[in-house]
Amino acid sequence: MGSAEVDASAEAGARRPQGRRALARPRRRRAARRYGLKQSLTAYGFLAPAVVLFAIFGVYTVAYGFMLSFNRWNGLSPEWTWVGLQNFKDLFSADPVLAPRVRGAVGKTAIVMVALPVLVVGISLPIAVMLNSIARLRATLRTLYFLPYVTAGVGVYYAWRFMYEPAGAVNSLLRSVGLDSLAQADGFLGSTSTALPATIAVLVWMTVPLGILLFLTGLQTIDESLFEAARVEGASQWTIVRRVVWPLLAPITALLIVICLREALQNFQLFLLMTNGGPVDSTNVLGLQVYRLAFDRGNNNLGLASALGWTLFALALALSLLNLRIMRDRTRS
Amino acid sequence: MSRLREIRPLRALVGALLALYLIVSVYPFLWMLGGGFKSQQDVLGTASPLPSEPTLDGVRAVWEQLDFVTLLLNSTLITVAAIVLILIVFPLAAYAFAVLDFPFRNALFLLFVGALLVPAVTVLLPIVILDRELGLIDTKWGVILPVVNGAGPLAILILRGYFASIPGELRDAARMEGYGELAVFARVYFPLARPALITVAVLNCVSVWNEYVLPSVTLNERDSFTLPLGLQNLLSQNVVHWNEVLAAATIIVVPIIVLYAVLQRYVNAGLTGAVKG
Repeated sequence: MGSAEVDASAEAGARRPQGRRALARPRRRRAARRYGLKQSLTAYGFLAPAVVLFAIFGVYTVAYGFMLSFNRWNGLSPEWTWVGLQNFKDLFSADPVLAPRVRGAVGKTAIVMVALPVLVVGISLPIAVMLNSIARLRATLRTLYFLPYVTAGVGVYYAWRFMYEPAGAVNSLLRSVGLDSLAQADGFLGSTSTALPATIAVLVWMTVPLGILLFLTGLQTIDESLFEAARVEGASQWTIVRRVVWPLLAPITALLIVICLREALQNFQLFLLMTNGGPVDSTNVLGLQVYRLAFDRGNNNLGLASALGWTLFALALALSLLNLRIMRDRTRS
Repeated sequence: MSRLREIRPLRALVGALLALYLIVSVYPFLWMLGGGFKSQQDVLGTASPLPSEPTLDGVRAVWEQLDFVTLLLNSTLITVAAIVLILIVFPLAAYAFAVLDFPFRNALFLLFVGALLVPAVTVLLPIVILDRELGLIDTKWGVILPVVNGAGPLAILILRGYFASIPGELRDAARMEGYGELAVFARVYFPLARPALITVAVLNCVSVWNEYVLPSVTLNERDSFTLPLGLQNLLSQNVVHWNEVLAAATIIVVPIIVLYAVLQRYVNAGLTGAVKG
């Protein structure tokens, strides 16, 4: 960096008129400051498009939502009515119709937040280990396993909706292998007892590939010679797993859990497109509840949507801080 | 791990389990492909995605009902415009964060990356209200601009990491040659960051192409609909024709699979790079 710095500062000094304050300083320091100023301006120029976009569609919208969450507004009238924390009270306790729904949504979201990481780690880790143990077809299988993750979206959700139909592929498959008792007469999305597990299964199905990819990458960084060394020293298989493999996989597992929790908290599109929360709110998760408060005709106070949206944001924030703390503790010890 | 290879019955079990999971992974895709060529009756009540009497009825019905050319054109335009903007705006910003020195650099970077934590649904309503105020409802820009902004945090994170790994001597040498900062960026750093740029492009291509929620609340005119919105329309019939839904789903998913097949090593590298970073 050294030579270019001098070069650039000389250039800057030659072009710009000297300011009065700069004159009082020693030459070298002034040059450094000049260079800093020019580079700062250049940097802000580079950042300008992103900052403008972010200021309008990021900062402004987040702040707008924050303000709205303390107001009552029907979306049409020119004025907001300040209500303080009343929206939050209505959401969680005061409103006799809404509060039970919201509390139900909290419960459903909690179920997804527990089930998703447990199932994704529990399925993707063994598959990655098995995949790592075979030589042939490994690359091909990895590509095919990855399809659900890259294609995840509206097309895939509708394919699953078809498969879950009463006469769809899943029921047909169960009947054809003699598991008639497991088949669902109303379809898997048609009954309150199976709709949530069925939607979670799709979430797991599309997140497991990421787990496989991350674990496989981790396993491939483990040097074979480490195993040899451990074996020569007489370490048991269990010791090898605990002392050699696990320390390398632990941070990957932590990351995967965080990704799963984020997905569980934020992915409401799947629920919107597959069940729209039904039947009887059995798949009504928090994100979907926010969407419904914002866009369903029945609600005449958009402040409620913002308040719940911000609650969701606060949850995500708390989760990330917790995660950061855990990671820091781990690196310290 | 190599132990597994040495035990015969275990090897067979591993093979069987991997094969089983392969079926679970691709079964819905087989249904999309096969089901689209089945007749309306043939698609239900069977576990086999293979069409016994392949027919183009489903595909033809989708084509006629949905004004597919318009949908395809709208989806393509929005995706391409968003990707082009993403590949201009965020490499510039990432370059500043990675290479240049300026006041509030870390604070600004944290603010950008912190936006990753904001759930999309939290800002959805304010974005729609903003679009309305700016007169962007029912326009492509009303979808493109928020989508580009949403892609910012991850794009900056990936690109900044990549730019920072490029040796600073290259920039010094270019500056000695008389290159300005923009020229250093455009002629040295941008071309060198090709793998990272492709990662960002592919990841966003898929998410913009698949985006359903934002278009569904900002686009009201049928002429401005995208493919995912068209697909939704097929399901609002009284009796859902699943062969048509599967055919339409195939049309949405196939471009993604092709894109991934061609560029998968960039996608994989980009995703696993996040682990190491």
